[in-house]
Amino acid sequence: MIKITDLEKYYRTEEVETIALNKLSIEVKEGEFVAVMGPSGCGKSTLLNILGLLDDPDGGSFVFNGIEVAGFNERKRADLRKKNIGFVFQSFNLIDELTVFENVELPLIYNNVKAADRKKRVEEVLDNLKIMHRRNHYPQQLSGGQQQRVAVARAVVNNPKLILADEPTGNLDSSNGNEVMQLLTELNEKGTTIVMVTHSEHDARYSHRIIRMLDGHSVTENILI
Amino acid sequence: MIKNFFKVAFRNLLRNKGFSFINISGLAIGMASAVLIMLWIQNETSYDQFHEKKDRIYEAWNKAEFSGKLQCWNTTPKILARSMEKDIPEIERSVRVNWPSNFLFSIGDKRLTVKGNIVDTGFLQMFSFPLVKGDPKTALNDGSSIVLTQTLAKKIFGEEDAMGKIIKIDNKDNFTVTGIAKDLPNNTRFNFEYLIPWNYLVRTGGDDSSWGNNSTRTYALLKPGVSIDAANGKLKSIKYQYTKDNDDKKWEMFLYPASRWRLYSNFTNGKEDGGLIDFVKLFAVIALFILLIACINFMNLSTARSEKRAKEVGIRKVVGAQKQSLVSQFIGESVFLAFIAGIFAIIIVQLALPAFGELTDKKLFVDYTDYKFWIYAIGFVFFTGIMAGSYPAFFLSSFNPSKVLKGTFKSANALITPRKLLVVLQFTFAIILIICTTIVKQQIDHARDRESGYAKDNLVYHYLTGDLEKNYELVKDELLSSGIAKSVTKTSAPLTQGWSDSWGFNWEGKPADDKTDFDRYVADENLGATAGLTFIKGRDFDLKKFPTDSSAMIINESAAKVMNFKDPIGQIVKDDDRPYHIVGLIKDFILQSPYYPTKPMIIEGAKNGWFSVMHIKLNGANNTADNLKRMEVIFKKYNTEYPFDCKFVDLEYAAKFKTEERTGTLAAIFAALTIFISCLGLFGLATYMAENRIKEIGVRKVLGASVTGITTLLSKDFLKLVMISFVIASPVAWWMMHQWLQDYPYRVAIQWQVFAFAGLLTFFISLLTVSYQSIKAAIANPVKSLRTE
Repeated sequence: MIKITDLEKYYRTEEVETIALNKLSIEVKEGEFVAVMGPSGCGKSTLLNILGLLDDPDGGSFVFNGIEVAGFNERKRADLRKKNIGFVFQSFNLIDELTVFENVELPLIYNNVKAADRKKRVEEVLDNLKIMHRRNHYPQQLSGGQQQRVAVARAVVNNPKLILADEPTGNLDSSNGNEVMQLLTELNEKGTTIVMVTHSEHDARYSHRIIRMLDGHSVTENILI
Repeated sequence: MIKNFFKVAFRNLLRNKGFSFINISGLAIGMASAVLIMLWIQNETSYDQFHEKKDRIYEAWNKAEFSGKLQCWNTTPKILARSMEKDIPEIERSVRVNWPSNFLFSIGDKRLTVKGNIVDTGFLQMFSFPLVKGDPKTALNDGSSIVLTQTLAKKIFGEEDAMGKIIKIDNKDNFTVTGIAKDLPNNTRFNFEYLIPWNYLVRTGGDDSSWGNNSTRTYALLKPGVSIDAANGKLKSIKYQYTKDNDDKKWEMFLYPASRWRLYSNFTNGKEDGGLIDFVKLFAVIALFILLIACINFMNLSTARSEKRAKEVGIRKVVGAQKQSLVSQFIGESVFLAFIAGIFAIIIVQLALPAFGELTDKKLFVDYTDYKFWIYAIGFVFFTGIMAGSYPAFFLSSFNPSKVLKGTFKSANALITPRKLLVVLQFTFAIILIICTTIVKQQIDHARDRESGYAKDNLVYHYLTGDLEKNYELVKDELLSSGIAKSVTKTSAPLTQGWSDSWGFNWEGKPADDKTDFDRYVADENLGATAGLTFIKGRDFDLKKFPTDSSAMIINESAAKVMNFKDPIGQIVKDDDRPYHIVGLIKDFILQSPYYPTKPMIIEGAKNGWFSVMHIKLNGANNTADNLKRMEVIFKKYNTEYPFDCKFVDLEYAAKFKTEERTGTLAAIFAALTIFISCLGLFGLATYMAENRIKEIGVRKVLGASVTGITTLLSKDFLKLVMISFVIASPVAWWMMHQWLQDYPYRVAIQWQVFAFAGLLTFFISLLTVSYQSIKAAIANPVKSLRTE
């Protein structure tokens, strides 16, 4: 599903050029659950941004679902992204002005799904994630765990092939964290590919494979299953 | 999707009440001001453009040279109309309109004074003043027919049908109502409540065939398709063709199109030189600026709080939003906001219209039943929304989601450059307006403080209506003997108005080429005593002691200078061929504009006979209201048919400042609005700035910064901008006011103190605005701000 080869990304300021990704090559197969670990600044987040088509690499190749996407313009990236990829963030990133229902509905709106279908699918997902009773609440009225559930619901509502999770448990206590990890595992079991960046060895153990990064390239891979 | 945008917009609005209030109130005030100004502009630019034949309607003008300068004016000889029709084949018809005249109408026991015009019969066929009753082609054909406006007809006859009713005019002639005209619109130069045919003037001896008496307005309707240049070519030398007088050889006449009457008819040296159009343009600019300033608030506040919206932008992009969809979302939001502001603006306009109408001396109104108004209104809302929203929309939608969602995004906590620029623009405009307001006010005060040259207190006048002229001596005796008046005089015009001027005087030693124009005034006796004039030499007219004073003359200092008399007393001055001997020399007094130097003036004795007004110096020992009441009784006794209508000279004199006062008031209002809207924006910016820097402030305080230090730190940036604005505004304002003052020969000097005042005022108002937020941020407990996160 994902094949990146010799991927490069630099950040430039006037004085300094920082290499974020240095000839990184990784492959993720469909249905895999991969955890990416490494110290701060090793390029995990940059990798995730490129995988999520939020950022463009400066060099190398990125084949997504058999298509070379490096060099795609913003419009094409956005189009591919909204159809195929769901995101879960450490800080949930829900829109404060929208209710739970409306937040989850958002990806469907951008995918031009009809209102009746949207309602059905959002309710299905909320039901699955056991937050149906919170559907008319605003994010600030929810606990962190509940907010992350909503974020997960939003990530999966469009049935994406790939979910990218950026430290999904970072802002949660351990019991809420475990619940979220459980959710991701269940999604993976149903066939969704997951790439998760994490600092937590505990969370990483939910995955099939751990990629460890340092200074912009992968150092080791532990296969857990 | 639109529903979703709408929801977010609406909830944002409710959540950020302060922000919404600042934006909506600013935009509403800005929009309302713009709408009011546009109403005024619309009115001014549509003057006399509703006549069906407007493209063929012209007014005849003179162009002639006086003291080396070409003058243009639009009063013409009465004989011109018929001569023009005869000689110039391009002209289909020509119509004269006499000066508006006040006539006494008597209908049964009812008496009222009404203003209207005496016109040629073709008037209603040339101009589109539709009749509700009667036929415009024939209504004025009969010499004793009269056309009334609907309002006047209703005032006189109530619900009864006015057609065919008889009205007695000036207690002499009976007229039959032959037409009822719709009331005049508010955008015409004409101002009549009745029309009567020219024939009346012929019957009463008011018509003449002199080419030298420029006393009426003449209009021409060209035939369809003919060339105006051809018509003008033939009209040019018409006066000389008839008079064959060498003085008239260079005298020109021309036709001036209806489309230019209202806005362009200011002539300098024979050429159009601005006019009302300058004001129209100026106000259009002001309207646009006030709106722009309100929009700038929106731009600044939207971009200042971008951190807040950045997250939403990031999320929307992550779930698949294109940039373009975000741009339309944000523009949609500002249009939505503009729409709400627009509703408030309509309310404000409605509330402000009466006051604005008074200020502009117009009856302005919004025609809500006109679909065009709503089209314009919606267009205006979109225009405002897009103007305010496009910059923030592009700014916000360009955020990179990978940065904002990770929390690494921090909008620059200092004022970024475009925002600085916008604040400078706002305050530049505000400071310019403050300076202009102050100088206009100074100029008015300057002219008002000018010595008028006569005593206005307790001085009243009354027109010699009806039998007053006949009974003048009786009225005068009774006023004096009853102790109401101290002194009474009969004159040719009110003391506040110059009605006559002439260059046709002769005196010993007058240079042959002298064409100096003198103000001409006539009085019987006691003018000096009544008006409180200052005599330098000689004496007042006194017919009892000196019966020959009926051919005496009083001149002012300027006249004595022109005539170059060593001792003017006893000299003979001829008006045409009538000799007058000078008995008095007075100090100049202001007869006309307090902004112009006084002209040379001659006052002729009673022999001249042009009396229209009596001036009365009331006895100040009595109560004024009491004086007036007793006066009315006397006037009623000797002038039974006419209403008593006494005017105060000091009030009339004060009215000379009306135009300038209006300019001043408008400038003051716009200045206040601009400052208010700009400060609203500044307040909002300061709020967000304080919020953004809360951590920095905390750290500084922990490290030992004082409250004063922090307040200064936070306010400094803003005040710097105000100072830059001042530097830009001062020369612009100076230039503008310098230009404006050129219209007033008697004017104030522009003083540096005005600029200092405007600068300091703006500085303190903005300091007050900003420091509230700065102090609040500075005195907050740092423990709180540092604990967050």
